[in-house]
Amino acid sequence: MSSPFRLRIRQALADANLQRALDNNAARRNAAREQVFSSLPEEFERMRQRAHQVRAEVISNLERYLAQFETQARRNGIQVHHAACAEQAVEIFLNIAQAHHARLIAKSKTMVSEEIGLNAALERHGLRVVETDLGEFIVQLRGEHPAHLVTPAVHLRREQVGETFREKLGVPYTDDVAEMTAVARDTLRQVFLQADIGVSGVNFGVAENGWLCLLTNEGNGRMVTTLPRVHVALMGIERLVPTMADLALMLYLLPRSATGQKITVYLSLICAPSGDDEGPQERHLILVDNGRLAMQRSALREALFCIRCAACLNACPVFRELGGHAYVGKEDEFTPYVGPIGALVSPALFGHARFAHLARASSLCGACAEVCPVGIDLPKLLLRVRAGLGSDTPSRRKPLPNPPTSIAIALKVFSWLASSARRFQLAALTAGLLGRLLSPHSKWMRLPAWTGWGMTRDVPRPARRTFRRRWKSLTQEEEIAGFKEDVEHSRAISEGGSTHSRSPDRAASLMERFADEWRALDGVFVFCRRESLAAKILEVLHEEHETTVLAWQEAYLPDGLLRELNAQGVHIIHRADAHARLGLTGADWAIAESGTLVLPGDAQRRLSVSLLPEIHLVVLEAKDILPDLPAAFERMRALTVPGIVLVSGPSRTADIEMTLTVGVHGPRKVIVFCLEPLEPGNE
Amino acid sequence: MSETAQLFITCIIDTFYPEIGKAVVRVLQRLGVHLEFPAEQTCCGQPAFNAGMRQEARQIAMHTIRVFERTRGKVIVPSGSCTAMLQHGYLELFDAQPHWLERARALAARVVEFSQFLVDDLKVTDLGVSYAGKIAYHPSCHLLRSLGVDRQPRALLAAVRGAQIVPLPEASDCCGFGGVFSIEHAELSSAMLERKISNLLQSKASLVVTADAGCMTHINGALRRQRHPLRVVHLAQLLAGELVPEAD
Repeated sequence: MSSPFRLRIRQALADANLQRALDNNAARRNAAREQVFSSLPEEFERMRQRAHQVRAEVISNLERYLAQFETQARRNGIQVHHAACAEQAVEIFLNIAQAHHARLIAKSKTMVSEEIGLNAALERHGLRVVETDLGEFIVQLRGEHPAHLVTPAVHLRREQVGETFREKLGVPYTDDVAEMTAVARDTLRQVFLQADIGVSGVNFGVAENGWLCLLTNEGNGRMVTTLPRVHVALMGIERLVPTMADLALMLYLLPRSATGQKITVYLSLICAPSGDDEGPQERHLILVDNGRLAMQRSALREALFCIRCAACLNACPVFRELGGHAYVGKEDEFTPYVGPIGALVSPALFGHARFAHLARASSLCGACAEVCPVGIDLPKLLLRVRAGLGSDTPSRRKPLPNPPTSIAIALKVFSWLASSARRFQLAALTAGLLGRLLSPHSKWMRLPAWTGWGMTRDVPRPARRTFRRRWKSLTQEEEIAGFKEDVEHSRAISEGGSTHSRSPDRAASLMERFADEWRALDGVFVFCRRESLAAKILEVLHEEHETTVLAWQEAYLPDGLLRELNAQGVHIIHRADAHARLGLTGADWAIAESGTLVLPGDAQRRLSVSLLPEIHLVVLEAKDILPDLPAAFERMRALTVPGIVLVSGPSRTADIEMTLTVGVHGPRKVIVFCLEPLEPGNE
Repeated sequence: MSETAQLFITCIIDTFYPEIGKAVVRVLQRLGVHLEFPAEQTCCGQPAFNAGMRQEARQIAMHTIRVFERTRGKVIVPSGSCTAMLQHGYLELFDAQPHWLERARALAARVVEFSQFLVDDLKVTDLGVSYAGKIAYHPSCHLLRSLGVDRQPRALLAAVRGAQIVPLPEASDCCGFGGVFSIEHAELSSAMLERKISNLLQSKASLVVTADAGCMTHINGALRRQRHPLRVVHLAQLLAGELVPEAD
């Protein structure tokens, strides 16, 4: 009776800290999610149906899209590897590490690496692995596993994090979230600069062009894919979209569902190795199957549609009681996939015998399916796991796991009774009589706690005369006329449908829209004329007591700008420098609807310029502001650069107690200098 | 307009709450529905289905399909959960049996939940009943999310004279019943129930209305254990004007 899972459930329910943390998580995440959905360009239901179709298309033709994606990625210069299982994935990684005599590995968050047990394997081979996502970093310091797909340290309160930092990093105790974040920033900055290999996950692979899309807020995902000489990306083979247009659709849904953001601060599009002597000279992509192809052919296929937003975790009333750590296997095994989707993916990938019991811990309330942005029918799939469908066990054997024996026997008897009206009536009669005997004076009965129900609830006494026995008399005393007239046949409220009245953006120009969104993300927006641009930039330099600026090459900034700055005594550098506090870039385009800048990266426009410095200055031409993401993707098709990053405000995290902190690994301040459009006719 | 319709009373109302069944009949009769009750009916099979025992669930489902195939007209069900089982669960059960799937589809097309039938089919919201007090509505999960039925029971409640409908915090959160889940994972189920009860008490309602006898049994079971006087009633009881104080 007391399996490890049950013990974990009891521990979680009794842990007051955890309960408070989970309540906070659910309340904040769900409210943020609901709020941000009003900003979708179309109705959620319509977009989710399209997203469902896109994912269904990919999963139905997985091998074909994989082949297309792989061909394109190779053509771009990415080295692609296939891993059939976890061990193989680890082995491929070790070979890459050995070929480069790597000793320090900097990792951004990847669930696949948790799935294949990468950290432990690398440590066994004497490599040092550092998790760089703030939540993962905390969890790694504590020797724990992540407790949530998106917010790994969701189970901890700030005091616990402060204590961990004091103990493991030797810093004075503080429970100030900003201070703790600064400690992590300083510690990890050294890791980014010294790491031999950067490891990342992949949110989406785009089949048509072989690009990798990676979403992060803190900037660590950019660091590990931009600074180390070698980048290794780990990707589950199902994480594909056919086209950039499909990617745009997914990007409308994923950040909104995951964190309640219109878009994450950073959206990296990784196309190729760096192409110059800075940054990754090699990019490797390890495509991990580890049970996915088998799952694609099973009754649980639909669970492969998942894009790992974790909205189902935040919505789930069971997850809200348990947190991620309670979701363990038969022998207390760890799984990175928790919550409602985890109760499907864990048995499907790691075996029903070990994990199918997770699917039984659900009231099937459907809150998960309600929020799923790709329309996965989770309750239906949970029921399939319970029925042993999609299981690896031979069909003649009993499905795993069975309900507890007592329940199975009771239900067998009940089912036998309920398959015949005569038996059923007889049983009801007996129950009614028994009820009178056991509880002659009250309509309620008390069952002992071991029955489960009796633990906290009384049970109603069965009726002596069931409904079916009363039916006859009910219809005989029929005409209760008169009443009929009383009933007003009021028409039902027609069409209870959506009330998403989208007031048209009252002719607000794209620039105003961009500025509003940008400011809402804590970005600074300065509108200026070309003549005053240098002066405005100098003002910032003076305020910061700085004379050095890390900048893009001349050709990609307004004509003569660098010369003007230089003439005023500003020292301009172009190579990544850990000490440069200000970075100056242009932006090819901006996206009004989400307050996003599009920055291509190549040898002239290094991605490190917008990443390493504390303050990022951006020159944007008003004419380059586009309405939405699909419009930007359309323009980006023509780019042939090793990487592109979309920036939406300063870097941020909410990994400690959901407290928003600005300025993690990337810049803490981003100032956009928007140049007024040229006079018509000049253009 | 005298429409013939079948009543699927559900095993829980049949066995535990015949008075709810009576209320359902009263409401429908007053609206001129010619109601029939196929006496061979038992249970929809959901308990076995939810436990993962599909063979057993299929036995019951076949029985139910056979019983209602012999009748005509809509099949009215005073439970969101059982309606969802008949409409969606059966299709999943007979996924691989084309002959039975077709029969399950035919039944699914006839099935309608009680409040949905009143509001969408009969176009009735005001049943001329009154209740003086504060009412909180608990939307049961399958009714709300599997069937998408929410505006109908709310419209029916809004028309109750003298009643003040008060907001229920976290209204759409599950009460933790989930059938076999409430027994197999009693601790988890109880923790969810405790939240529901604390929200119900916060709403300051004097009466809680729901459209599913499952949730009702679950919530009342704990209210009773904790000696709270508050009770949950089935929507049909309120609409029939037959709210008798519970004799203990």
